[in-house]
Amino acid sequence: MNASSKPKLSFGEYLPKIVVAPTFVATLIFIYGFMLWNAWLSFSSSRMLPKYDWVGLKQYERLFANDRWWVAAENLLIFGVLFIVTCLVIGLFLAIFLDQKVRAEGAIRTIYLYPMALSFIVTGTAWKWILNPELGIQRMFREMGWESFSFDWLVNSDMAIYTVVIAGVWQSSGFVMALCLAGLRGVDENIVKAARVDGASMPAIYRRIIIPGLGPVFFSALIVLTHIAIKSFDLIVALTGGGPGYATDVPATFMYTYAFTRGQIGVGSAASMMMLMAVVAIIVPYLYSELREKKQ
Amino acid sequence: MSLNRILIYGVLTLAAMFYLLPLLVMVITSLKDLEEIRNGTMLTLPQSLNFTAWDKAWSTACTGVSCEGLKGYFWNSVLIVVPAVLVSTILGALNGYVLTKWRFRGSNLFFGLLLIGTMIPFQVILLPMARTLGFLGIAGTTWGLILVHIIYGLAFTTLFFRNYYISVPSELVNAARIDGAGFWMIFYRIILPISTPILVVSIIWQFTQIWNDFLFGVVYSSGDYQPITVALNNLVNTSTGVKEYNVDMAAAIIAALPTLFVYIVAGKYFVRGLTAGAVKG
Amino acid sequence: MQALKIQNVEKSFGAIKVLKGINIEIEPGQFLILVGPSGCGKSTLLNMIAGLETVSKGDIVIGDRTVTHLDPKDRDIAMVFQSYALYPNMTVSQNISFGLDIAKMPKPEQKVVVDRVAKMLQIEPLLNRKPKALSGGQRQRVAMGRALARDPSIYLFDEPLSNLDAKLRVEMRSEIKELHQREKTTIVYVTHDQIEAMTLADVIAVMKDGEVQQFGTPQEIYDNPENQFIAGFMGSPSMNFVPCELSKSDDGYELLMESAGKVTRLLVNQDIPGLAQYVGRSVVLGVRPEQITQVSEDKPDSMVMPCAVEIVEPTGPDTMVTIRLNGVKTVCRVHPTAICSPGEPMFLQFDVTKAVFFDPETELRIR
Repeated sequence: MNASSKPKLSFGEYLPKIVVAPTFVATLIFIYGFMLWNAWLSFSSSRMLPKYDWVGLKQYERLFANDRWWVAAENLLIFGVLFIVTCLVIGLFLAIFLDQKVRAEGAIRTIYLYPMALSFIVTGTAWKWILNPELGIQRMFREMGWESFSFDWLVNSDMAIYTVVIAGVWQSSGFVMALCLAGLRGVDENIVKAARVDGASMPAIYRRIIIPGLGPVFFSALIVLTHIAIKSFDLIVALTGGGPGYATDVPATFMYTYAFTRGQIGVGSAASMMMLMAVVAIIVPYLYSELREKKQ
Repeated sequence: MSLNRILIYGVLTLAAMFYLLPLLVMVITSLKDLEEIRNGTMLTLPQSLNFTAWDKAWSTACTGVSCEGLKGYFWNSVLIVVPAVLVSTILGALNGYVLTKWRFRGSNLFFGLLLIGTMIPFQVILLPMARTLGFLGIAGTTWGLILVHIIYGLAFTTLFFRNYYISVPSELVNAARIDGAGFWMIFYRIILPISTPILVVSIIWQFTQIWNDFLFGVVYSSGDYQPITVALNNLVNTSTGVKEYNVDMAAAIIAALPTLFVYIVAGKYFVRGLTAGAVKG
Repeated sequence: MQALKIQNVEKSFGAIKVLKGINIEIEPGQFLILVGPSGCGKSTLLNMIAGLETVSKGDIVIGDRTVTHLDPKDRDIAMVFQSYALYPNMTVSQNISFGLDIAKMPKPEQKVVVDRVAKMLQIEPLLNRKPKALSGGQRQRVAMGRALARDPSIYLFDEPLSNLDAKLRVEMRSEIKELHQREKTTIVYVTHDQIEAMTLADVIAVMKDGEVQQFGTPQEIYDNPENQFIAGFMGSPSMNFVPCELSKSDDGYELLMESAGKVTRLLVNQDIPGLAQYVGRSVVLGVRPEQITQVSEDKPDSMVMPCAVEIVEPTGPDTMVTIRLNGVKTVCRVHPTAICSPGEPMFLQFDVTKAVFFDPETELRIR
């Protein structure tokens, strides 16, 4: 009876690993494996069909020599910055206004957030109709008697990208509002009470105490919005189709066009690698700060 | 009412109008005939409730070459969404259960790898996946799309369940182990019965994501197997004859109805999914 | 035959050893308490007895079976958790019968067990409720009921009372004691509360830094602590430790004691051979609050000295008076009628017969 029983390696001990194995394998192959595969394509001479040779940075050179790519990159920058900033500002202010113990808060919140449940294709289709100069907003104002009113951004090469911003903000700002509202509700009421006892006015309390405390919320909103911006594809396809011409192309539509309709797999994969770089440039500092926080 | 309150309600109402207007315009337009559209503005109310455009969008509108309306594509989307949502949610629940209650050496690393997977732009995997679906012989089919949605949904569902189960006390699992329950028994009898909220979050999130997906749909499906978002885009951009805005709008509403319905019925869980996805880790 | 034998049990996480060779044996029907500050390894040890954590080295024997590497379910144990760990989706009666259900006991027999346990714990009216609808004390009872239903050879309790409020804790404490006396169960009970340890245990293992510091009955540990840590840990308010100079006198030893500027010589009339080598050096006098009291006639062996009162804390039955001895704050337990106020001098009586001495360096008891 004193003989120590040896630890037995039973099926049961492997069970948890077996259960997560499919996901683990899928992650390795379909995310990391495919990323490497895609990287290889971007260094190959692939056109219509993938070829597994090595041409170094040729495809990247072709990409960078392509005007359309730079238009797409510039559009992403314009769209990204405006989209993110506007969403954050609108979201924050709506959240602050909603946080003033208003009536029917639930209903209002529902209204602000429902666009998030829609497909970007639906959003694009709707706004395409509203912004259409012949029958949309422009027509409405003219019928109302403002004869000289002009709003033709959708068909104006210089302005079309801003219509994408409008539709994007319409769809996503409610989400920032929801995040900010959750953040505001998380503020310790005793801190607000203490500040009021100290004689601070409500605007001052928001400006100096509550909003600075929302830092982490802004940060996550920023990450998600940036992510939406870089991946934005559906909205542009549905709203402008990348046009007029290729005036509203973004990297995602550029990549799709080259890889799947123009038979330029090499350039397309190089473009997607550039998108990956952009995301990495954002999430690495994010992960770094998260991990550092956890360590502390 | 003080000036402050008036200002607050004023701003909130204006914003509500901004969000509601496009939906209102869509509904109004879908109920008009082309004559009314040409003569009025987009906010002129229809003279009568006219569902012809809806009927056309559902059963006879042209989406590219075929002219059978959206109905077939609507059911395609249903066929894709149901299995993809169920499988990715079940696997996500099991993953979350293992990652919190049966940790092993390397399980945190695994979770980290998976988390990064939620952040990559899908453009990076489009080409290899297209080739792989070709090898597997399921390119352009419903099965191909189901597989793609399951794989790239797993990271999110796992994240949901992992973050939910992490707050379930481990003592509960220990108590069940002492009571003699094993891995599956604990999952089935203890963990699953308390998972309803996160199951709802995961199902709604996956449902919305997959129903609304366009990128995978447009790249990996063709012809009769396309999901509704792709069909809607084709319908809107099919340029044969007169532009029928009323049909476009009816089609857009049809495509949006399932997710809108879910949002209105279970909005609370939808918001939770959104914020859970935002506050990772 | 022992009910439980823990033989040279060690636990390490990587390079860190959290348990350093534990040896404990208890008889059937004994109530063993593992007590110690947080991080001492007591909960880890309990989890290892339960089979929830692996044993790095050594053996655990329950009855006549070595269970070191067995699954929890094969060890014939039941456990009551700190958070109660009631299954939230099940009713009270389903919670109690879950283990029986897993063991495939027929439903009618399960019902008999549930009814017996419910009667024993007076929770019959709660059987169809969910844990959410129970108060803290009721949850506690259900958690115990779940363990009792298993009728195991050993019960394990992991700080079961620490989530209750003070009053309920005292009530449940005496109920557990009563249950133990009535059912003659073998119990291993983890707590950080030394009062629980004193009141409940047949035997106590005081743990610190992954080692058992002392193993014995509550009274042994209270009266004869092995070292300064145990002396200070057991008892509330805790023992006073006063460093003082030891010198030889005609009848034994003398301690130089200073308070309020006055030096008194305190005579030690115990026979402690070990003290001889400390003459002329410093020792730590360990004296419990109840050994310094107001002056009364019935203790001829006691010494009396004047002290400066710093703080007065009435508790009802006694008043705690803090004085300063050799520069150290010292708590005395005084009868409430012996009124004094802060800043005033007061004559206090020292019962040195039960005082203990520690080496100031090693903190070990001088015997």
